[in-house]
Amino acid sequence: MDVEKDKLRQMHCEFNPLSRCDGSVMYSQGATGLIGAVLGPIEVKTQNLSIDGSYLECNYRPKAGLPQVKERIREAAIRDVLELALLSEAHPRSKMSVQIQELEDRGSIDACAVNCACLAMLIGGLPLKCSFAAVHCIINEQGEYVLDPDQSETLHQRASFTFAFDSVEGNLLLVQTKGAFKIAQFNDIECLCRSASAEIFQFYRSQVAKYHGRSEATAEKAEVMET
Amino acid sequence: MFMNSNLFEPGKSKPERSFVQLAVKQNQRFDGRRSNECRDVELTFGADWGTVAVSMGDTKVLTHVTCDMGAPATSRPNEGKLQLNVNLGGVAFLDEVQTTHDQRSLTLNSLLERTFRSSRSVDLESLCVAAEQHVWCIRVDVNVLNHDGNLYDASTIATLAALMHFRRPDVTFTDDELRIYTEKEREFIPLLFLHYPVSVTYCIYKSSGQPIVDPTLLEENAADSVIVLSFNSYQELCSLNAGGTAPTNVRTIMQCARNAATRCKSLVDFVRKALLLDEERRLQGGRLVNGLVALIGNTQHKLSFNKLMSCQKQEPQPAPTEKMELDNESSEKPEVEEIEVKEEPSKQETGDAPMDSSGWLPQDEDSQELSIPSDASTSKAGKGKQNRSKNKANKKPQQKKQTDHSDSEEEARQYI
Repeated sequence: MDVEKDKLRQMHCEFNPLSRCDGSVMYSQGATGLIGAVLGPIEVKTQNLSIDGSYLECNYRPKAGLPQVKERIREAAIRDVLELALLSEAHPRSKMSVQIQELEDRGSIDACAVNCACLAMLIGGLPLKCSFAAVHCIINEQGEYVLDPDQSETLHQRASFTFAFDSVEGNLLLVQTKGAFKIAQFNDIECLCRSASAEIFQFYRSQVAKYHGRSEATAEKAEVMET
Repeated sequence: MFMNSNLFEPGKSKPERSFVQLAVKQNQRFDGRRSNECRDVELTFGADWGTVAVSMGDTKVLTHVTCDMGAPATSRPNEGKLQLNVNLGGVAFLDEVQTTHDQRSLTLNSLLERTFRSSRSVDLESLCVAAEQHVWCIRVDVNVLNHDGNLYDASTIATLAALMHFRRPDVTFTDDELRIYTEKEREFIPLLFLHYPVSVTYCIYKSSGQPIVDPTLLEENAADSVIVLSFNSYQELCSLNAGGTAPTNVRTIMQCARNAATRCKSLVDFVRKALLLDEERRLQGGRLVNGLVALIGNTQHKLSFNKLMSCQKQEPQPAPTEKMELDNESSEKPEVEEIEVKEEPSKQETGDAPMDSSGWLPQDEDSQELSIPSDASTSKAGKGKQNRSKNKANKKPQQKKQTDHSDSEEEARQYI
């Protein structure tokens, strides 16, 4: 069961498994799985109404029980990233609702939840300035970097990092760190995560292209044309 | 301003209602099912104990069971606790209109409470560790993922399957010291059941005497009354929830009850079978059980009612082991298909057997073909309604509706 330490786990997704929202996605990375659903633009309550942009509602639901502090923090992280990426000026006086439901938590759930939210926004057709991807990485007891760790690997860790990047300029959208580490290590891991995020963006492209009936070959060709 | 602002639900508008009424009268359903045909039920077990996802058509429910130590209620000091929670918010987007949301979650919660707690299906006394001090509190969280009608059945099936799947850690209580063992130290213990209840839902319309089973959201919202019956595997009634405005006679309810009893029995059998398969998989796969991630794409880990139960009918004895192989090894997939193909012709008899076998009441066993008896029953219902509306007409101006209905009745008669 020794997985490569510098690779992301296998990603899978299924688009629109739910029928009553504008866009939904079932996303998994390794054994960690989530469902994301978006609805919008919809009517907003007057207390949340804003005339120069849409109101973003973001909820994260754990598998059991009501959301606790841990879930609230995760929810806040997702909302922060979404608020940076959402083109809220496109729909003033309205609400965008994003709901994430946890299915299985087997490590790096923070990053998976952010990726799930991005795919749901993409498939729901809500306006984004850019897409985004999050990568989780830890430093284990031996001082090695483990990218996208499984739950069993996170038991003994010195520090953990979650980075989110945007797709256009590669700007940092989110940094979450825990534990003790050196600045050099931080920089190393940021580079590692940045390169891994490219793989996730590639996954987004191929999956969305497949869903909309374009073969991967043509998608790649279009990409080459763009660059 | 926005079309979706109130989260439009199918079946709430007048044209939709009259469409469904008319269709039911002609013994037709929008998705091509017959009035006594249910949607396929699919179970997916998670990697943790007590995690189950159930889907019936587009209705999807995720249930998770957790347990912890707590103090018992003072009125029942030697019994554990069973808590049932329904979550309608989240990805299902059902929470926008507060009034319907409250009503919905209340009915669903009370159905679950009556089906599982009031009927005492779980042996709560076995959950007591030390009387008046320590008992297990079992908590069931039902998360609705998608609502396409018949949330009642989906959540009772999910709850039953999750409770049956769930295992609690072993515990000892000596010298006022509580010790909970981990899975490595001592094997986890499944819950004890006194009986296994499941519910079946019927919709009844004013336009027809024939109730329809397992309604979709369109049918459920357009229904005049909804009957939810819970039976256990011994075919004993656990709860009955009948409401609405359609006049229903005792006969109809008895018909529903009889069919529901057989349906419930086969559902419990199905859940048992699915649990057996899951256990084998766990033994084989070790820690490679991929849990709910299996919901994505590949269908290998989804255990479907039609498939399991039809296999069982064809080869009753050696079924379990053979099915294991078929399900697990993709190399043998063609064989599965073959079996399915073979199954097709016999499905009409076997597939529906659990629902039909005891049939409607003995007098009108063949009411399927809309022969005389069912006509009689509709006219009976019609009479009842007319009488009723006459009474009402004295008080309220309901005549308009009445004429509407009689119009549609005449039309339908011409059709038939």
